Amino acid sequence: MNANAIQKDNKKKIDFQSLTLYIGAIAILIIFTVVSKLAGKNFLTFGNIQNVITQSSVIAVIAIGQSVVILTGGIDLSVGSIVGFVGILGGLLMKAGMPIGLVCVVLIIMGILIGMSNGALISYGKIPAFIVTLGSLQIIRGVTMVVNSGKPISGFPEGLRAIMNTKIMGMPISILYVFILYAIIMTIMKRTRLGRWIYAIGGNAKAAKLAGVKTRKIELYAYAMSGLFAAVGGILLLSRLSYADPNAGSGYELDAIAAVVIGGIAMSGGKGNIGNTLVGALILGMLKCGLQILNVPVYFQTIIIGLAIITAVFFDKAKERKAE
Amino acid sequence: MRKKLSIVIVCMLLLSWVLAGCDSTSTKESKPSTQDGDKEKEAITIGFVPMTLNNEYFITMVNGAKQKAEELGIQLDVQAADQHASAAAQLTIVENMITSGVDGICIVPSSSEGLSTALKKCKEAGIPVINLDTKISQSILDEAGLEVAFYGTDNYAGAKSAGEFVVANIAKGVETAILTGIEGQQNAADRRNGFFDAAGSHVKVVAEQSANWEVDQGYTATQNILSANPNIGLIFASNDGMAIGALRAVEEAGKQDAINIIGFDAISEALNMVEAGDMYGTVAQYPAEMGILGVDNMVKMIKGQESESYIDTGAKLITSENVEEHKKYCEQFAD
Repeated sequence: MNANAIQKDNKKKIDFQSLTLYIGAIAILIIFTVVSKLAGKNFLTFGNIQNVITQSSVIAVIAIGQSVVILTGGIDLSVGSIVGFVGILGGLLMKAGMPIGLVCVVLIIMGILIGMSNGALISYGKIPAFIVTLGSLQIIRGVTMVVNSGKPISGFPEGLRAIMNTKIMGMPISILYVFILYAIIMTIMKRTRLGRWIYAIGGNAKAAKLAGVKTRKIELYAYAMSGLFAAVGGILLLSRLSYADPNAGSGYELDAIAAVVIGGIAMSGGKGNIGNTLVGALILGMLKCGLQILNVPVYFQTIIIGLAIITAVFFDKAKERKAE
Repeated sequence: MRKKLSIVIVCMLLLSWVLAGCDSTSTKESKPSTQDGDKEKEAITIGFVPMTLNNEYFITMVNGAKQKAEELGIQLDVQAADQHASAAAQLTIVENMITSGVDGICIVPSSSEGLSTALKKCKEAGIPVINLDTKISQSILDEAGLEVAFYGTDNYAGAKSAGEFVVANIAKGVETAILTGIEGQQNAADRRNGFFDAAGSHVKVVAEQSANWEVDQGYTATQNILSANPNIGLIFASNDGMAIGALRAVEEAGKQDAINIIGFDAISEALNMVEAGDMYGTVAQYPAEMGILGVDNMVKMIKGQESESYIDTGAKLITSENVEEHKKYCEQFAD
């Protein structure tokens, strides 16, 4: 089976998957709206939808890179640590007087480099992705602590805050970032050879190799992209808080994976629509926000979110089971 | 087919936008009508944000706050980050509280400097904030342009009282180990320094290690410290979790008669240990008081009455002498 055939095969399944996903998202929206109305609170307000999108945006951006990596059949556990590292490094550079624009460029390059070193160990070093990134998760977090001896950094210029807290026509700018980034990645995945090859590797690495795909190189690119998007997520978080916390982003890798999985991309790789990852991230954000507004105790929130993840995948697989 | 998908997405977004639009206008309409007063002024709702809810200290604080809220007949919305105390999670909580329309927020910040954006949003929304337990640093308050009342304990003074007790009751020159909290946190530094400044010249500090507030790390750190320094006679742990870990290691080494352990926080497990004579003492703070005072003063603030801008809720060393009395006090705020 060549790359195109795999893609075609996907197309049919994706539509069913997407449909259940959208129905799920709308159902959650309606349920929260009704339940909060009954509880005398408002879920579906303009301000609140802005909240959900802004709050989900960091995870949504990180999840782009995670989607790419998972599509190749890999995983990147280091993204949360990259978020923390980028924050502290950016904080130090800004304190040293570097202009914000340049800081952002440096941080993004840093993210790409970290991603590439993950990718090189995985593709050329033949170490499983789970293990490489589990290791770099720890290493990067450790380096983050060492760099500023575990201390947070605050007191940044107003320009930093503006990256994330500006409004365009009454809407938070984070919407714009998220949509542009998703538009770019969706174009890459659908219209370029790189995108098709990423699907091909995840679908069947050996077949892809026989078909002449440079699998190692493509894997390297995938992890570099994951590092890049994690760094962008880190910049957005840094701007949102205007505070660099060495512990920032811990656990974000799991939220990003959850968004990818809810969005319907198979953990085995090769299958799924990257645009749906955004819907996955928004569902997670909606759940967190809605449950908080309904004042559900925090540990019940985590139980409900956990159940939601499993339910989402259950419905996904239900279609597959039927097909079989 | 892809096109269809994107059309569906766009429709969904548009739909939610339209719905959102309708809703925001309808709330605008409905708000003044309630203010006009069928229910004579809407009930006051206060948002309460402890650092986490996975530790007894904050649970006690919340219980104090809940009791006060019930007494005053107001609503209390309690929300905390799940496991990790993080600035990002707290910002999200504060944003959601603002949109859900709370009248004021009492908060224990996850760190002294992390809340700058959250405070700005409170200021924009005109929502008063009271800071409990861990003080928000002045530079952050200045940056946000917000005046925030603080009710909490001076960790330094609490640790100092433990140090003074050691000077008065334990022989000079005893070999001592200090277990500290997470490096870089203000209260970790305050507790260490408070103890050290009071007792540092009286005892002989032979080991000092961070165990990150955790029981298991307190246990392993103490094991290592004991094998390197077998003559240790006193351990000051900056919280009870680490003290409990230290006690396990000391018991394992069969040295419970030779080593005195002092903790901090006076959690119920530690009080039991003090009562049983396993632990020498623990410094009690009064988290329930912080919760009570926070809610009480917030209501005053919302009603436009005079409220306190600073309250030291105090700290006290609990030893075998006063442990029973303190346990009785704590019972009122237990779950």
